[in-house]
Amino acid sequence: MKIEKMSFEQSMEKLEEIVKELENENISLEESMEKFEMGIKLSSNCLKKLNEAESKIEKLTRTKNGKLVAGELDLEEEK
Amino acid sequence: MRDHKDFNSKIYTVSELNSKIRTKLESSYSDIWLEGEVSNFYFQDKKHMYFDLKDENSKVRVVMFHRNNRDLLFEIEEGLHIIVNGYVSVYEKRGEYQLIALDARPVGRGSLILAFEHLKKKLEKKGYFERIHKKRIPIMPGKIGVATSSGGAVIRDIISVLKRRFENFHLVLRDVNVQGITSADEICSAIDDLIEYGVDVIIVARGGGSLEDLWAFNTEILADKIFNCPVPVISAVGHETDYTISDFVADRRAATPSVAGEIVILNKIEVLEDLKEINNKIKNLLKSKIRKYSREVDFLINRRIFVKPEIILLRFSQDTDDVRTRLRENLRRVIAAKTQSLFECSRGMDEKKLFKKVYTFRMEVENKNIAMVSNIKNYIMSRKNGLKMILKNLQDTNPIAVLLRGFALIYEEKADKNIKDINEVKINQKVRIILRNGMLKANIFDKIYKKLDLGFKNED
Repeated sequence: MKIEKMSFEQSMEKLEEIVKELENENISLEESMEKFEMGIKLSSNCLKKLNEAESKIEKLTRTKNGKLVAGELDLEEEK
Repeated sequence: MRDHKDFNSKIYTVSELNSKIRTKLESSYSDIWLEGEVSNFYFQDKKHMYFDLKDENSKVRVVMFHRNNRDLLFEIEEGLHIIVNGYVSVYEKRGEYQLIALDARPVGRGSLILAFEHLKKKLEKKGYFERIHKKRIPIMPGKIGVATSSGGAVIRDIISVLKRRFENFHLVLRDVNVQGITSADEICSAIDDLIEYGVDVIIVARGGGSLEDLWAFNTEILADKIFNCPVPVISAVGHETDYTISDFVADRRAATPSVAGEIVILNKIEVLEDLKEINNKIKNLLKSKIRKYSREVDFLINRRIFVKPEIILLRFSQDTDDVRTRLRENLRRVIAAKTQSLFECSRGMDEKKLFKKVYTFRMEVENKNIAMVSNIKNYIMSRKNGLKMILKNLQDTNPIAVLLRGFALIYEEKADKNIKDINEVKINQKVRIILRNGMLKANIFDKIYKKLDLGFKNED
């Protein structure tokens, strides 16, 4: 799976796996370099996912003809 | 005995009377609420309910038919204190009056607790609370659905916790009444709407209140809805000490609505810290790996085979000696055998002819021997030269190993000509000296001739 396509959780899990693999004494230098590179990519993907989420507060209502509508929630308007 | 004809009054039949009374009662008590304690409860074939409602002094027969009792939000049982809505009628066969119940609700804390315990036991038996059914709450949901009242403090609390933990979140509120007779139904359809809208997690929430206020969250329909919800549900009802059925069925219980805000999304600042730590950790792991391998390379470079490559030759020469001994022994054996067979053959042969033949053979053997010895010599020479070439290449092509051992290479100042002989430089000539980690520029100020013993002789 491509790193860019991974969700935040998947990236985080994979990252923890990589730390464990790097802690293993027996892996080769080449493997270490690969894992390291992947780890750096994963952590920047996590960072991206943390910041890319949209900030929105909505109110969901169903109209009389049964349609689902999401509008902005204005709490001041409510009692 | 007086004849009834003496009275100028109407005589009813039994049926007539019962029928009259029934009509009268049904029109006078067509829609009443009656409160009392359940006794003599009988649930015929799990369909129609028959029981008495009683107080300290009196009791009334009640019937609740299947079509009316199947939608009850709790289970009627012996000793329960309830109120019943319906009309009064007469069971004409027996001339007994009874209340036909259309709806019923538990009354008072005691009854509510009883109804709560009853439903809890029932759902527990159905496996609704088991861990295997609990879905994992995503740590970073894209859309957070909330089913609660838009009026109360609950939604504000949730939003303010979310803002503190993760400023760019996406929340969708579906406004519902969180108490009253329609509340349970409203929350159920809110869950449906949120699923349809595509949220990643749903919080059902309500502030604190009495057991009656929280009743919607103790109903079987809401329990079913939460249990069958494909999206993870967090139940956040009342205060820390309040437990509702929805708390047990939900994938996660939050003690209060604010806690739900904490459960539903990770703390961004903490995660950023974690990420930083992980980054440092993998960097350090790689660094120590590189250190470990460079130590190994150092060790290998200093191995005897690289420092003293001539030991390879020693091993080969041992092999050669061995082959030579074996060759000589084999030859001796072959010659002995041939001499023997020659002897056998020679019996009864012409001596002169024989000597002549032997002589020619001997000459031939002599010639062959000479050719063979020179062939072997040539072969050994060529192998020796080949080996020497390999050895020389090994040394020539590995200047870095030499440099690492502390030797230096000297080049002319500008040209890439390597100086190997003292005669190649003049006094005051500028040269470059290459060492393991850099280059020195130097001036030749004196030359002293001396033959060096390098241990391994170059026989150029």
